[in-house]
Amino acid sequence: MALGSCLYSEPYVFAQTDQTTSKLQAANTAIEQAFNAVLDAEKAGANVTALLAQLNTAAGILAQAENSYRAGDNTTAAAQADSVLPIAQQVTASAQDAKQTALVVGQNAFWSTIAFTVIGAFVFVLALFLVWRRFKRSYIKSLSEAKPEVNSQ
Amino acid sequence: MKLEGYKLIFVVMGLIGVLLIATPALAGDIHLPSGAQFSELYLLGTNQMAENYPSNIAVGENYSVYVGVGNQLGSSAYYVLYVKFGNETDQMPNDTLSTPSSLQPLYEYRFSIQNSLDWENLLTFSVSNASISGKNSQINTLQLNGVAFNVDKPAIWDSKSATFKYQLLFELWIYNSRTSAISYNDRFVDLQLNLTRTL
Repeated sequence: MALGSCLYSEPYVFAQTDQTTSKLQAANTAIEQAFNAVLDAEKAGANVTALLAQLNTAAGILAQAENSYRAGDNTTAAAQADSVLPIAQQVTASAQDAKQTALVVGQNAFWSTIAFTVIGAFVFVLALFLVWRRFKRSYIKSLSEAKPEVNSQ
Repeated sequence: MKLEGYKLIFVVMGLIGVLLIATPALAGDIHLPSGAQFSELYLLGTNQMAENYPSNIAVGENYSVYVGVGNQLGSSAYYVLYVKFGNETDQMPNDTLSTPSSLQPLYEYRFSIQNSLDWENLLTFSVSNASISGKNSQINTLQLNGVAFNVDKPAIWDSKSATFKYQLLFELWIYNSRTSAISYNDRFVDLQLNLTRTL
């Protein structure tokens, strides 16, 4: 009976370990995808402080799951790995939204800067040209009003 | 000065003015060389200073250290910090080859840090099952932040230092978004521990 029990329980332990390993792998992949999405949002100019805080919650649970697995507690490890997935998926979705928003804001800022540059440069050159015309007129006037000097040779 | 001279001054003023006005638009395309990019890994004692590190350990006693990581990489980074436990003969990470220790990790932290920020955490550890027999000792169970790990790590009496030498090793690994892999970041710190007595 003891032998039968061993034969029956051993495949169960292996199956549970495999299941836990695949759950941990899935959680790892979800966290990495979430981080990639956050990094993309950051590169697009989004503020990712809140997203990273949320990601750290998921990453902390994943670390606990890995620690439980190494300590031999497969049941806890599997449950913890499962709880990582919804948080990581939420972070990924929020990061993608933040990236889109940041891209639109960035594009608007870019066109505003271009418009400011073109208008600003035009107004400046025009103002400088008017100043130059006035200066030139007064320069020529001062030349024409100047008395000729007699040069004795 | 002749009129042509004044004209030249106006043209130069115009060019400088246009360049100044265009500075915000040009700033996005001008990339100045950034400084050195690196990650920091450090260990602090119980009062969060670089002192009072636990060294002589006894079974059943709790010890604490603060472990910290700093991100100076220019963007956010995702790290894994492995805690390993070894004796004097176990292989340490290789600085020249940039390879990690071959020891299996016991405990790990996972976290992401924004650029120019630090992460710090308290690690509490204790030896809950160990034996000393003549010139041999063995630590069987090590608790890290309340999680018990079977380590079964022996150590031989070191007559020079008159101790049984063990070490708690902290290795920093980092996620590379290009390769989608977590790899050793060439940073480690170790805490030398001397087992002094068992229960």
